[in-house]
Amino acid sequence: MCEAGDQAGPGHRESAGPAFSALLEDSAEDLYEHAPCGYLSTLLDGTIAKINATLLGWLGRERDEVVGRLRFADLLTVGGRIYHETHFAPLLRMQGELGGVAFELKAADGTRLPVLVTSTVKTGTDGQAQLIRTTIFDARDRRAYEQELLRAREEAERERDRVQRLARTLQQTLLPPALPEVPGLEVAAYYHPASADEVGGDFYDLFPLTGGRWGFFLGDVSGKGAAAAVVTSLARYTLRAAAVSDPDPVTVLDRLNTVLHHEYRGADPRYCTVVHGHIERRDDGAAVTLATGGHPPPLLIRADGSPRFLDAPGGQLVGAFAHARFTTVDVLLEPGDTLLLYTDGLTEARAHGRVRYSEEQLQAHLTGLAPATASAVVGAVTDLLAGFGDGVEDDTALLALGIPLPGGDRT
Amino acid sequence: MTGIPFSVTTRTTAAGPVVTVGGELDVATAPRLRAAAGTLALGSGQLLVVDLAGVTFCDSSGISALIAARNLAEAAGARVALAAVPARLARTFALIGLADFFPTYASAEDAVKD
Repeated sequence: MCEAGDQAGPGHRESAGPAFSALLEDSAEDLYEHAPCGYLSTLLDGTIAKINATLLGWLGRERDEVVGRLRFADLLTVGGRIYHETHFAPLLRMQGELGGVAFELKAADGTRLPVLVTSTVKTGTDGQAQLIRTTIFDARDRRAYEQELLRAREEAERERDRVQRLARTLQQTLLPPALPEVPGLEVAAYYHPASADEVGGDFYDLFPLTGGRWGFFLGDVSGKGAAAAVVTSLARYTLRAAAVSDPDPVTVLDRLNTVLHHEYRGADPRYCTVVHGHIERRDDGAAVTLATGGHPPPLLIRADGSPRFLDAPGGQLVGAFAHARFTTVDVLLEPGDTLLLYTDGLTEARAHGRVRYSEEQLQAHLTGLAPATASAVVGAVTDLLAGFGDGVEDDTALLALGIPLPGGDRT
Repeated sequence: MTGIPFSVTTRTTAAGPVVTVGGELDVATAPRLRAAAGTLALGSGQLLVVDLAGVTFCDSSGISALIAARNLAEAAGARVALAAVPARLARTFALIGLADFFPTYASAEDAVKD
């Protein structure tokens, strides 16, 4: 740039001259009148002595009705006038200048204009105050910005409420509204959401199949939030549909594995762990066949003994791999027996350095409870969870199936 | 909670890349393992070893990241193995049947030698 200027020499300056001097000829008076801000000069008592056209335009007033007739405070709203008299004017007298104070101007038509006011006191050669010069900036943009901020915050708060409502609603669609009455069985369930903001990945259901047989499942999808809810929904409906068309739990889990793997292979795999089975009355008890897919083993609490885990070996994660292996286990429930299915937040509880509850602790906690009803077992585990307080970071779902003892009353 | 900061480092051996993970592999850190796996130039017949010796915690997001890494390797015609799986994790991995899909070695050196 310097080089170009040097080469152009004096001629270059001359060519830029006329336009530049036209700017300089712009009179100081015109600059004052039509500046992009309001100018105002008042006597020390506030009487307006001089005002620019810009400000008159904002106020919608003629010069004649303002100069010598109104005081600066007359241009303000009532609240502004009080603030001006009690704070602004005294402070200005003391300091000689005051800047960036927010006021609202009242225009002739009654509209209000948010402004920022800066004033200085002009003193004569003798040091005596002579008049007050005031610059007024249009603060509509800033006011709009502040209101926008406020609106955004309110919106965010409403949004948070909406998200929590949505999460609750979604979660409700992933769980049965109430467990059905199953003849000869006592059933109980519990669901504890870890977060009000996010949909958890736990799900369970109990539903009728043909011939007095009932299907059930309880599972846990990897991840949380909307993406996990989609998988949960898919898992839930696939399980129900597959269970109706084929009663073999291994076949049902195979179907679910195929569906999930097909949907979520690649860089963002989604999978679930699940226990699925069916139950039907047999004599005074019930026969259960179930299969597990990567899920912690169900706990069987016999009427006469301590709880033990149902071993269903080899069940693999559902949906993670093209071919997964599942095996079934059969068990006969006698009167007073209860089968407990549970999620413990997938692997978190077992893998973490912090102690939460282990399967062994769960087993120990339920020892001595037998013979226990389904609701007593669910109640005992719920109490255990409550004891962990905010240590329960993940969703927890429980589903218990029990055979009532004859006579009804049980511990 | 353990105070060990999460880390992912990659080194190359004759058999293929070794990704060493340390700290808590959870929903917050798993994306970093995924990202590291995504940048690997895996060739057909190579072996990707994920060394978990320094992992203090692994949740379902961590397992997802391991499965994603395996899917990547598979797509490239490479194999994947886990090395030095801490006992706590090994128990979880056994429960969910991961062993069938991830050959597991006592150390990264053993995995590479094999």
